[in-house]
Amino acid sequence: MPDPRCKRIFAALSEYLDGDLRAKTCKELERHLAGCRPCIAYLDTLKTTIQACRAYRVKKVPKPSSRVRAALLAAIRKG
Amino acid sequence: MNAQVEHALEILKTGEPQAVEQAIETLQSAVYAFGMKVCGHPEDAEDTTQETLIRLARSLKDFPNARALAVWLYKVAKSQCLMSRRKSKFAPAQMLSLDELMPDRMEAASPLMKSWAVSPEQLVLREESRARLEQAVLALPKHYRLVLILRDMEQLDTKEVAEVLEISEDTVKMRLHRARVFVRNDLEKGLRGDRKRNA
Repeated sequence: MPDPRCKRIFAALSEYLDGDLRAKTCKELERHLAGCRPCIAYLDTLKTTIQACRAYRVKKVPKPSSRVRAALLAAIRKG
Repeated sequence: MNAQVEHALEILKTGEPQAVEQAIETLQSAVYAFGMKVCGHPEDAEDTTQETLIRLARSLKDFPNARALAVWLYKVAKSQCLMSRRKSKFAPAQMLSLDELMPDRMEAASPLMKSWAVSPEQLVLREESRARLEQAVLALPKHYRLVLILRDMEQLDTKEVAEVLEISEDTVKMRLHRARVFVRNDLEKGLRGDRKRNA
């Protein structure tokens, strides 16, 4: 990323996607994005990555352990 | 906070008889899944689940509300994972530099987008990209991996991640961005490979 503006934008992309940027920085970033297709493309792919992480589920979950179940039930009964 | 975990803990705290069994099952699945994401090994994930939930049984009444209990639960599960027997699975502790993660030159937008012509849902359903995502997360140095898993996979907010890991919110944000970029760059290598193979 030779353009120093792209470099600054790159550092702020996650905060931008999370809505954590200050209004002024946010506007500056959006102005840059409007004219920089590679930065928009990078932003979109970063967003896809985050959404993929959110959609990810562990496939095989073992059957619940009876030892754990018993311990928790005893704790609940005990109050 | 992860809504499922918080709701299940709420049920355990109130002791609602009809819902307790389901809540226990939900918590076992949630802690196991967290263990798998962090450790990447089924036996470590099972050990983490057992130890964490046995400790939960002893501590159920020590917390004022389900949210505080959930933060504690993630803290314990995280510690159990880090103490797991298969420590060698963890990438060595290292810093990820933003300069090194940044592409050398801005790539042209169109080829980049062609490689990524896949929805996030397809990405996690397709065996190859799913495995690539799992490997990329496991390849992250542990401090970055924990932040990404808690924030993006478990869907805790920044403040909660900071509480679980006992670090500042600024550090959470810094590590999160680097972890996301690392995973994104790794996924792209895989997607480009898939595209070349299918061409």
